[in-house]
Parts: sequence; C-alpha cells; structure tokens
Amino acid sequence: MLAYALRRVIGLVPVLLTAIVLCFIAIQLVPGDPIMVLLSDQSGNLELEARLRADYGLDRPILVQFFDYFSGIFVGDFGMSFRFANVPVTKIIGTSLAITPILALSALTLAVPLGIALGTFAALRRNRPADIITIFVVVAGISIPNFALSAFFVYLFAIKLDVVPVAGWGSIEQAVLPVLVLAIAPMGYITRLTRTYMLEVLQQDYIRTARAKGLRQRLVVYRHALRNTLVPLLTTIGIIFGGLLSGTFVVETIFNIPGLGRLAIEAIFARDYPVTMAIVMLFTVFYSLINLAVDLLYGLIDPRIRFGEEQG
Amino acid sequence: MIRLSGWALGTLAALVLTTAAHAQTFRTNIVADPAMIDPITYSELVAGDVMSNIYEGFTGLNAAGEVVPALALRWEPHDDNLGFTFHLRPGVQFHSGREFTAEDVKYTLEELLKPGNKGGLNAPYLDNVVGAEAMKSGEADALEGVKVVDDQTVEIRFNQPEVLFPIYPIWFMDKGIVEELGPEWMLQASAGTGPFKFAEWNRGQDILLTAHENYWGEGPYVDEVRFLIVPSDDTGISMFEAGELDAIYINNTAEGRRILKDPQFEDELVKVPAAQIRYLGMNQNLYQPFKDIRVREAICTTIDRDGMVAGLFDGAAFPLYGQVTPGVAGYNPDLEPIAYDPERARGLLAEAGFEGGANMPPVKVTTTAPNKDEATYFAATLKQELGIPAEVEVVERATHIKAMNAGEVAFFPWGWSAGYPDALYFLSQVWYGPSVYNRARWQNDAFDALIEQAQQEPDNVKRYAIYNEAEQILLDDWGTCPLTVRMQVAAVKPNVEGVNLTPFRFLPFNTVKVN
Amino acid sequence: MAAAEPFRVLDRRGADFRLRFRRSRNAVAGAVLVTLVVLVAIFAHWLAPHDFERVNILQVWAVPSAAHPLGTDALGRDILSRIFVGAQVSLFVALAVLAITLTVGVTLGMVAAYFGGWADTLIMRTVDIIFAFPELILAILVAAMIGPGITTVIIALSLVWWPGIARLTRSLVLQLKNELFVSAAIACGSPPHKILRRHILPNIVAPLIVRASIGVGFIIMAEATLSFLGIGVQEPQPTWGGMIRDGLQALRTDPYLALYSSLALAITIVGFNLLGDGLRDILDPRIRDR
Repeated sequence: MLAYALRRVIGLVPVLLTAIVLCFIAIQLVPGDPIMVLLSDQSGNLELEARLRADYGLDRPILVQFFDYFSGIFVGDFGMSFRFANVPVTKIIGTSLAITPILALSALTLAVPLGIALGTFAALRRNRPADIITIFVVVAGISIPNFALSAFFVYLFAIKLDVVPVAGWGSIEQAVLPVLVLAIAPMGYITRLTRTYMLEVLQQDYIRTARAKGLRQRLVVYRHALRNTLVPLLTTIGIIFGGLLSGTFVVETIFNIPGLGRLAIEAIFARDYPVTMAIVMLFTVFYSLINLAVDLLYGLIDPRIRFGEEQG
Repeated sequence: MIRLSGWALGTLAALVLTTAAHAQTFRTNIVADPAMIDPITYSELVAGDVMSNIYEGFTGLNAAGEVVPALALRWEPHDDNLGFTFHLRPGVQFHSGREFTAEDVKYTLEELLKPGNKGGLNAPYLDNVVGAEAMKSGEADALEGVKVVDDQTVEIRFNQPEVLFPIYPIWFMDKGIVEELGPEWMLQASAGTGPFKFAEWNRGQDILLTAHENYWGEGPYVDEVRFLIVPSDDTGISMFEAGELDAIYINNTAEGRRILKDPQFEDELVKVPAAQIRYLGMNQNLYQPFKDIRVREAICTTIDRDGMVAGLFDGAAFPLYGQVTPGVAGYNPDLEPIAYDPERARGLLAEAGFEGGANMPPVKVTTTAPNKDEATYFAATLKQELGIPAEVEVVERATHIKAMNAGEVAFFPWGWSAGYPDALYFLSQVWYGPSVYNRARWQNDAFDALIEQAQQEPDNVKRYAIYNEAEQILLDDWGTCPLTVRMQVAAVKPNVEGVNLTPFRFLPFNTVKVN
Repeated sequence: MAAAEPFRVLDRRGADFRLRFRRSRNAVAGAVLVTLVVLVAIFAHWLAPHDFERVNILQVWAVPSAAHPLGTDALGRDILSRIFVGAQVSLFVALAVLAITLTVGVTLGMVAAYFGGWADTLIMRTVDIIFAFPELILAILVAAMIGPGITTVIIALSLVWWPGIARLTRSLVLQLKNELFVSAAIACGSPPHKILRRHILPNIVAPLIVRASIGVGFIIMAEATLSFLGIGVQEPQPTWGGMIRDGLQALRTDPYLALYSSLALAITIVGFNLLGDGLRDILDPRIRDR
C-alpha cells in the first residue's frame, strides 16, 4: 500500500506539470492583460503602457516568460504579483493558504455524518412521511443558492438575533455562518446519494442472506449495508470536497473571508497571472491528495478493489 | 469526525485576533485589498482611499471640495508661464520624524519617472516637466526641471504651460525611508506626512492606520482608522446595521440600493455628487446615421433622465445637461436642461430619413457587466420609442477600454472621473480632438482651439469662461449625449462626527471624532 | 421496528405491486412537473402576458398586480414573462450540458474501468488534470477565452462536469466487474461492448440518474454564477440564474424577483428529482426482475 501511495505521488508530477502548462496557455488566451488593469485611467497612455510592460517583464517573448517562470518554480520563486505592486506571490498566498481548506473541511465534517445519517434514516423509511419530508427538506437545501442562504442567515442570526457577527474572519463566532452555509448543499447531496445507494444495497443478495440468517436489522444495516454504501459515496465525497475548496468563493466574498477562492477570482479579474498560476498549482496538489486519500480509503473499506489494479 | 471538527475549530480559535479595547478606533469599508500603499506605484481607487490618509501633495481639498494649500503654503507662476516656484509649509514632519523639505519633493518626482520603478498614475502628471524624457529613458539620474532653492523652496519648470500643476494630486514621500528600511519599506511603514500612518495589513481582512501624533494640521482625534475589506456592499450594509462599521461608502449602486430604500438609514445617509460625467458616446465614423445631427438630437431627447434618476438610481443621481459635474471648478449651473420629448424625436428622425427606424442598420449598445441595466434601458427605449434596431452587448472591461481608445466602438454609455477638481480634466480628455480618450471621436476645430487656449490660461475666472464656451459648442452640436451624475452614497453612525464626503470620495479622517 | 418495513414489502408480491404504484406515482408527479416546465419553455412567447424585453423605467420593482402578476424587475420588465422565457435558456443549457457530459463521461468512465491499462491511465490522468483546476476557475478561464454567450456556458460547464461523471462511472463499474454475472458474461465470450451495454450499463444507471437529476439544478446555478461574473448568457436574454442574481441585490427591499425566479428554479429541480427517483425505481433491474 505504501508503494502504491508512493507511485501515486510520483504520478502527480506529470499532472502538475501539465496543469501548469495548460494554465499558462489558457491565461495567454484570455482577453485583457494586467497592464491594462494597472493603467486604469491612463488606458490610452501608450508610453506608460510600454514602460510598465517592460517593468513587469511582459515585453519579452512568451516562451522566454514561460521558461523564466517555470525555472523559478523549482527554486521556490513564484514571481511577483502584478496586482499587488512589489509583493511576492508567496507572501500573498501565504496568508490565505490555510483558510479555504479549514472552511471546506469544517463544512465537510458537518455535512458527511449528518448526510449519511439522514440518508440512512430516509432509506429505512422509504416512501413513508419521514422519508418524504427528509428528502423534501434536503432538496430545498440544495435548491437554495449559497448567496440567498447567506443573506437569510445573516439577517436572522447576525442582525435580528445578534448571536454572531455579520462578517469577518479570525474568531469561531465569525466562522459559524459561513461553515453552516457551506455545509448545507453537500449535506443534501450526501443524504440523497446515501439513500439511493442504501436502497440498492439493501436489495442485494448478501443482505437478504444476512437477514435470512436472522441477523438483527440494525446489525445488517450498520455492518453490511452501510459499509457497501460507503464505496460509491467516497468518490462523491472526494468530489464534494474538491468542489467545496473552489466553491467557497461566494461565501468568502459575502463573509469577508480572505480565502483562496476569493483570491483566485480576484486574481483572474485583475489578470494577476503569477497569483492565478500559484493558486491553480496549489489546488492541483490539494485535489490530487484528496484523490489519493479516496483511493487508499477504497481499499480499507472494500477489499475487493485491489490497489494497482488500474495498472493491470 | 467529531475530533476532526474540534481540530478545525481549534485552529480557528488560534487565529483569533485581539485588539486593545481602549484605543479609539474609526472603522470604515474598502471594497478590496489596495493594490499598493506606496505613492510611486499608486494606480487605483482603493489604494487612493487608504493612501489619502497617509500621504499629501502641494494642495488638498476642504470639506466643501475646494482646493486648499497643503504641503505648499503658496506658489507663484513664472513670468513666461513655464514654471512655478513653490514655498513649502515649514515644520512638517514625516511619519519617521524627519522633516519634509524641498529635497523630498525632488526625490519623489524623480522616483516616479525612474525606469523599473513601476511609476503609476502620478507619473504622467510630470510629462511636461523639463528633463522628464531623459529620466524616463534612463539617460539622466536627476530631473533637470526641478530645482531645490532652499529647504522650503522648490522651482519646477515645464516645456509647455501646465497651469494646473499645483492642484495635481502628487503625493510626496520621505527621501530617507529606503535607506532606513530598504526597498520593501512599504510593507513595514509609511513615508508620508498625512494624519495617519500605516500600522498593519491583514491581507483580505483589514488595514490599520494609527494617528500621526505630530501632524501639522487639524487632528487626528481618533487613535486608529481601520479599513475593513468588504467586497460585497450588501455585507457592508449589514455590518453597518450591526454596528461593525462606523461609516460605509457604497461602491456598487445595485447592491447598495438597500441603504437608500430602508427607512432605518434615513438619518445616517450622506449623498454628494461624484466628480464623474456620464455620456452616451456616438461615433460618427462607425455608424452612418450618427452623422446627421437630427439623429443625435433625437437619441438624446428620447432618454428620460428624470426617469433614470428615479427608476435606475433610486433618486441617488440627478440629470446631467453638460459635460462638467457640480463641485468641479468650471461647472456651469446655467445650462439649459435637455428636454425629454420622444414625440419630437420621432419627427426629427423622420426628417433625417429614418422614420420609425426605417433604413437604419442594426447597432449595438456596448458596455461592461456593471452597467448592463443602464445599457439595456437605452437599447430598449430607442427600440420602443424610435424604432432604432438597437441591441445590448456586454463585453470584458479591458477589451472594451482598448477598443474605445482605438475609436472602434460605435455606441456606448460610459463615464469619466476627474483626477483633480477642474473642468479641464473632462473637456480636454474626453472631447478634445487629439485625446485618445475622445472615444466617440467627435471632432470640432473651434472646440479644440478653445481647449488649447484654456491650457495656457493661468487666470481661473478667464479659464472657466473658456470652458463654458467650449462646452456649449459641444452641446449645440449634440456631439455628446449627457446622461446623469451619480450621487456617492455613504452612511455615518450618529455618534460619529467630522466625516466629510466630497465629489472626490471621503476626505482624510483627521477631523473624525467617535463619541 | 419500523426499519423492517421495506424488506417485508419486497417479499410480498401484492405489496410489491402497491409499492410499484406508489413509486410510479412519484415518477408521474415528477414527469408532470418537468413536462409543465418544458411546455412553458416551448410556448413561452405565446404564454407570456407581456413582451419580456419591454422596459418601463417609471414602473420599476412594481409589486404584483393584475397587469404584472409577479411584479416587475429593475427596468420595469414583467417578471412572469421573463420567467417563462428564461425557462427556455435555463433548460436548454442544463439539458445540453447533461447530454454532453453523460455521453462523454459514461463512455470514458466505462472504458477506463473495464479495459484498464493505458486507456484507464490516459482517461483518468485527463480527469485528474481537469479536476486539478478548481471548477469555477476552469469555467471562467474557458469562458474568458471564447467570449461570453450561451455556447460558452455549455462548453465550459460540460468541460467541468464530465470528469465527475466519468469518475463515478468508473468506480461503479470497478465494483461490478467482480460480480458474478459479469464474470459469467466474460466467460461466455460476450464482446466487451455487449457486456458494457447489456450487463454493466443497466446496473449503473440508477446512481447516474440520481446524479443527473441533481445535476440539473447545479448546472442552472453554475450558469447563474457565470452570468454573475459577466461571462454567462447575455442581456436581454433572461435566465433564471441571472434573474436570481439580479433579484438578490434587491432581496431586502423588493423580494419578488428573487422569490419567484428561485421558485421557478426550485419547482424545476424538485420535478427533475422526483422524475429521477421514479425512473431509478423503474429502471433498476434488480427490482424489476424480481
């Protein structure tokens, strides 16, 4: 298993390299450039434009720029931000680095157990009122956009009830609303999938056999059914976690949280390429690690999936 | 899982920031992290909001929005009209404790021009200074046109008249700071003379300024100013409502409209016209029907400015009948209102041979996302009222600006914000023939001659008369279609006094008291 | 114990019938809602009480009245008419993206899992790379590259969505590959495309349908986010997502736009979910065969 993990980590390198190259190409194709953003009211000042282009090294041929950037990465030099004058990229990202993963992980920590519990609860009461109500509530939760939910929560909890602050980052009270908002859609998603998988597993032969052997209902559900439900669910949780990481943008904006999602979007809009590239690389690493974790967990939960099978 | 949650919250708890409770703090919002906080690379609005509290120029604004002396006590134009002698305010201290002298003026102007320094928006103000070209190309180490006479006197010479040079908002910085703290000084300290000095910047969260004890002017009365970075105005309003902000400046009209409509804010609202003209650009080279003055007049008189003020801006705007905004020197309050008269407009259009829009090729009203409602209104109104086949087109901002500068956009609502309080900023940049920002490519020799005359006229009263004459030529030709002036909207808590909103956003907060 | 119920029901044929009926009632309800939305979309221009583009600046944010049953928006346009017309765009985008991502994702996912080897490596590395980009950022980059518009939205969202489907499919197929009936089919010498279509596809359809039914809502919201960032479907063409975004800015003062456009979205999502659930039950071979 260790060898497998190691092989996967090494396999990450080409993915990362491809991501960097693709991102660099994509950025070149995006209209608008950082100099136009910097120029703002002096947008027609060709002389200033040329001077700034030279100052930022953007007058060099694309390939030179690329290799310069690329070689910098290996010595940990991610360049200087275009948007923030004279500030290295590492410094800008450093302050946001942990925030988004903390948010996503907290939301997931809330969503997964609740989602699985609710999904199991609903599956075992299939088509009865408890099931229908659960699913209705959950679907409603999925259907309400993040920003609407945030607006409602802020109004209710921060202004009317005044139990938490409206926005900001730095204290637990400030984290309550954003984590709650972020957790609701994933929870709904997990609930529905758990219910579906659960219903399917409950109809499998081995569950029927287990029941026929007289095993107790609770034991059947928890030891056999749930365990088998977890396999397909894991993929989804991995995807949800990935989505949470990059999907925190709206919530970060509404709650003034200086996370990576907001930073990334702002960087794209300011055409701050070095920051954009660095964040994309960072996300690449995050995602790949999540995938690795998911794959490793597969083996723990379902021994039928053998590691390295994909190489076979 | 439970343990995991505990870990996450524990990490959060570790991030808790504590501030000294007894320090008196004034809290307000900015919409994003400023791109910089040094006066050399300075190039954007948000940075300006913060830095106007830290840095000062020769002149500043008073609460009425008028130009008043700041770091220069007084100045005299040279006899040939090609230079100024500035007499600096004595006894002014930088945040470092060093004294502000003529050497700092020279240093700042040179730093703005040095190649590789990323000199920003204040650099182009120096284009006409003698020796600026040689500095920019790296041929010279010193700026020839700036002469330090003594500690309190500096002479600046130009290649051609620059009558408004004293009011250009060029911020001066401390010559000794680089030697003291190195090239990355701006992340540790500030190098200004303003009422507040830079203390702390939590990227994405807030910027903290502390009082400059030895400030030469009034105040500062509060110990700290905290700029909270609030990207969403809706969040900002909720924070203001919950008492987490002492004053809020609305940056996004659509998001900020709640503050105008909710009666609970009525007594806390402050509204001041922005120094920003808005117009509907009609490029006659790109759309044949625009060549006919009757078509231009028909379009301009089909736009319901009062309706826009009420409907689009919730009253936080007023109709604009010229191309200078109130509060900017040279504004003509006696301009004749542009009547809203679609009936007559239909007649004009018919006279021009386009009855009900017949024979008119399709035209796009091009704009960027934040202005889409306004543009949609224009396109729909022209279609509904005049039959002009107009459609909206929303494009990326930088691309749009580039295309407009190149004179490649036919029909567009756009604005222009003044960089200093003088009408020349609007007239010479947006409608003067040779200017790249004459994006509608309107061309009139008499207008251009008047602008050139104004640029050389040191006498304010005479110059304003020239502005008015030029503006009338532009309006009589329907070369522009003035739209509305936006009101800047802010709200201030009742326990706070001394917050001044001018056409150029908030004044520095040195006069603010929190009770 | 209440939890025993489903098992008992499955074992009794009469009850099974009743259950099937209840199930199809769910499906029927979903189908009715979806059909309703589709019909509204098709006949939008005919159903709309007003011209959806007509602005009236003197009547902005009007409250619901006889003339404007759901009120008006920021430019005085009739909200009901815009919701009807918006159904067209929103549904078209969602269905186009679903069609593309399901076709591509399921095919590639099955190929990767079934054949393994270099095909698996190639497909899953591509998936990894796309996953490595945060989806919103990827969509924005694509949209920024080819300019705003409805095609852009479809391409960008498809690009973002297919890897998730592919990965889900792959994991489902991997699980099935070891099942007896698949091994038996392989042993019988059935060609791979037959095995995939006859034996594997029907067994992975259920979770895919659930995912797709949830996906409709997500895609419509993602379209809204792109519109929010100025790279989605353009004015004056209304989309529900765009209307929700515009309405939210006025939520506290004039809630009608946000409320009714969200309601339209919610009804559609519920409809697709019910339909998905119903279809799942009907299509699930393990239920059908017994």
